[in-house]
Amino acid sequence: MKTLILGLGNPILGDDGIGLRVTESLEAELSGQDITISESNASGLGLLDLLVGYDRAIIIDAIQTKDSNIGAVYRLGVDDLNVTRHATSPHDVNLATALELGKMLNLALPQQISIIAIEIPPVCTFTEECSPDVEKAIPLAVDMALAILNERQERR
Amino acid sequence: MKRIVIDPFTRLEGHGRIDIFLDDDGNVKNAYLRVPELRGFEKFCEGRPVEELPRITPRICGVCPGAHHMASTKAVDAVYHVDPPPVAKKIRELFYAAHMCHSHIAHFYALAAPDFVLGPTADPAERNILGLIAKVGLETGTEVLKHRAYAQDIQAVIGGKATHAVCGLPGGVSKAITEDERRDFEEKSKSMVEFGKLSLKIFDDVVLKNKEYVDLILSDMYTMKSYYMGLVDANNKVNFYEGDVRVVDPDGKEFVTFKPADYLDHVAEHVETWTYLKFPFLKKVGWKGLVEGKDSGVYRVAPLARLNAADGMATPLAQAEYERMYQTLGGKPVHHTLAMHWARLIELQYAAEEMLRLCQDPEITDPNVRTIPTATPDEGVGVIEAPRGTLFHHYQTDEHGMTKKVNLIVATGNNNAAMCMSIKKVAQALIQKSKEATEGILNMIEMAYRAYDPCIACATHSLPGQLPLEVVIYDSGGDEIRRLSQHLS
Repeated sequence: MKTLILGLGNPILGDDGIGLRVTESLEAELSGQDITISESNASGLGLLDLLVGYDRAIIIDAIQTKDSNIGAVYRLGVDDLNVTRHATSPHDVNLATALELGKMLNLALPQQISIIAIEIPPVCTFTEECSPDVEKAIPLAVDMALAILNERQERR
Repeated sequence: MKRIVIDPFTRLEGHGRIDIFLDDDGNVKNAYLRVPELRGFEKFCEGRPVEELPRITPRICGVCPGAHHMASTKAVDAVYHVDPPPVAKKIRELFYAAHMCHSHIAHFYALAAPDFVLGPTADPAERNILGLIAKVGLETGTEVLKHRAYAQDIQAVIGGKATHAVCGLPGGVSKAITEDERRDFEEKSKSMVEFGKLSLKIFDDVVLKNKEYVDLILSDMYTMKSYYMGLVDANNKVNFYEGDVRVVDPDGKEFVTFKPADYLDHVAEHVETWTYLKFPFLKKVGWKGLVEGKDSGVYRVAPLARLNAADGMATPLAQAEYERMYQTLGGKPVHHTLAMHWARLIELQYAAEEMLRLCQDPEITDPNVRTIPTATPDEGVGVIEAPRGTLFHHYQTDEHGMTKKVNLIVATGNNNAAMCMSIKKVAQALIQKSKEATEGILNMIEMAYRAYDPCIACATHSLPGQLPLEVVIYDSGGDEIRRLSQHLS
């Protein structure tokens, strides 16, 4: 089973890069395993290109919700993605639309796509640092990713 | 006074907002485009080695990393006073033509075409790329994704990384193109030329053969007289990678042609309190506010502006279509904002032909891809045509090449005034007393904005900035009844 773990975000836009930080930690945890770990700040159609050819994928990204529960880690499905803010871009379609397009055109997309989203405050300043409350979420998100990997292995 | 807020954009989501203010009679008094602020980019760059900026600036946003990489690389050439060898320029141009194809394909098929194929007032649930593919056929959908991927492949191989290229160095590029790569690029470019033709045919079938849409393009509400800016080569043909900046007036006459390094003599920036995004204008005409015409320094960039500012296209297929566009739309310049989509496809055709020409250049696999800089670095300007318009990068360094100052004028900034004016014009035409502002009407207002293919995330980047706190109170009907504002400096 070809597995992709994909961190999304901008490494120089503060908390927006939290997905990349989680992926870095996962890289250490999963070294030696046959799992592709990758980073991107693509959205929509760009993500579609990255997902093609994998059987399962875990996408890790920052999120902002109405509750503004900073540092909270959510597990979402693709259907939840219409409401996220950073999974889409002003020049592209959102991921849900891109995936639907992929299905329409019979692309080899992952059967299982899980999304781990970490709640961040609004980002408006360029910096390489994440805020402490967001940083605290890294181990939680790492555990969640490992749990997702395990549960699927059990099922298999 | 009533206020209608379009927030978020259906496709150009969350990052921007249009506020429409109605008068007591229910007519549009004013309409504004507002963008949120991303602060501190120039500050972030200061103190870093200037040759790192081509790898940092593409991170400003995810939409046009290739454009920032290339503008930055050219600015760094200028800072080091180094001229890359001919093959390095050709490799950069090849990369950049692929970037243009990639971006223009996404814009036309995902963002522009649904309005025409499904109809401007169609249900948003259908008025998207899925509805488009359902209507024009799965085969076309496959072609769209295939050619987008081709453009991406070429960028990734030359750029060295999938999204954020790392190939640009002061004085050249980091690696040469192998013969195997060249052959692969050539096949992909040939296919891209055909895809350009297909895209123009779709535009012809869907838009130009439909009188209703041609009338819409030609309608007053989508027409605005302004100056136009774009890079041109020595023959005044459109060039994305290098040349002089040419500006034509609203009558299509050359107003000025200037060297990129002199941009500050020609472009100044006006500031308004209600938006973070500055309003660049032509210094020698002056800022007269958000008004049209020859006396107003407002200018436009992006595909239609480039075509207006040039005397033609450097490749045959694109040139033929260029002539057809101006014949069809009543001669030069074309002031019809929605013609931006046609111009974008003409540029797709040109970029594809350029890719093929460069791949077939016997010099393209020359291994001599770098001139090592020897001069002391100080200051430099790099200008490039981003998919959405002219992009300026200006750096100053100390004698060790450490960045002291960064100034960027991005394409969406250049179009800021024009976008606000275009939005207002459509809003005034469509929202009138006792007429409900339907979803369809709001989309037609967005169409004025979408034509520019703006990329909001990178358009604001100032530090120090003001942080306004704004509390807007609405009544139960959604009408604004009170606003509390405060500025923390």
